[in-house]
Amino acid sequence: MRNWLGPLAFGLILTAVTAWAAIGAIPYGLMNVAMERLGQGGINTMSHGNLATPARQPVVRPSPDLAYSSCPYDLSAGPLAIDVTPVPGRYSSLSIFDAATDVIFVRNDVEAQGKPFRIVVARDGQAVPAGAEVVRTTHDRGIALVRLLLKDPKEIGALNAVRRQSTCATVTKLK
Amino acid sequence: MKSWHRYSITLLAGLAVGLGAAWALTNGGLGDGAIRNGPWTTSLGYGTKATDPLTRAMVARSGLLALPARETIYWMAKTDASGAPLDGNCRYSLSGTPLDARWWSVTVYNDTGYLVDNPAGVWSVNGANVALDADGAWRVVISPDKPADAAWLPGVKGEPFQLTLRMYNPGAAFRADPAKAALPKIVKEGC
Repeated sequence: MRNWLGPLAFGLILTAVTAWAAIGAIPYGLMNVAMERLGQGGINTMSHGNLATPARQPVVRPSPDLAYSSCPYDLSAGPLAIDVTPVPGRYSSLSIFDAATDVIFVRNDVEAQGKPFRIVVARDGQAVPAGAEVVRTTHDRGIALVRLLLKDPKEIGALNAVRRQSTCATVTKLK
Repeated sequence: MKSWHRYSITLLAGLAVGLGAAWALTNGGLGDGAIRNGPWTTSLGYGTKATDPLTRAMVARSGLLALPARETIYWMAKTDASGAPLDGNCRYSLSGTPLDARWWSVTVYNDTGYLVDNPAGVWSVNGANVALDADGAWRVVISPDKPADAAWLPGVKGEPFQLTLRMYNPGAAFRADPAKAALPKIVKEGC
């Protein structure tokens, strides 16, 4: 039995280390899956998804009352510019999540005073256009999400044109 | 048995138990949040940078891309007012008064947090589509089949289900004491 003391102690320590490492890795893994599912339209591009239904649920707990536009991004080729156009008189917001799933920026339509706005997401040290409103991050990858609230699912037809005015793209010109 | 056999066995067991423990520890969902209000639970820490690794992993599993509390408060209910698990074969009355928020909605999900097909193609009620009675209150019925006498929010037939209450831009008074605010009542009427 004494022969097992060493192996058992090793196993217990390994259990704790494995659990801790896995807990740390879960957000990154799930973010990768979400980027994969939301990134059908391409990375650094805003995709305007259809409303959530049982057949279309790219992430857990989707709201059937929201039109989601998503921009899975990768800053390795340069900063990302996100342009958002709010819809008058109804809730909308831009939220930016980094690779660890942390929220690094949120602005809703009221905070934007109902006006279109541009946010540049950049890693520390990346050059950004002069005068831009910049959000710095420590991760290359993440997801920018625009939520637009619908009073009724049928509204999506009328609101499609305005929500397509929200875009994202890698910054290529610094001036 | 050789020594390396014993180490191999505990290596495999350690990895398996460690992964299983990580999965089990992060399985609480938003429902294990710190704030309780009747059957509803939430945490004001979601969607922030300050959360610890365990909370972050739990949120990633149950509410990936969730917004912070000043933007949206997410309440979850897995039981009715009496504490009994929500059962898709039963009929519930869901009622309340307009909530202290710019917008609110209640959505029905299955036990794992996904929408399930129903004949009405309806999964939620919200502040814009509920009818208020003379007292300024609203009421819908959650049931497997369409009720004859009330607005219908379809349940998940034959399965346990969960409700998520979203409050967009909750009022300052609400955020000051969410545990005491008036939230929708979930009362079982029969099975």
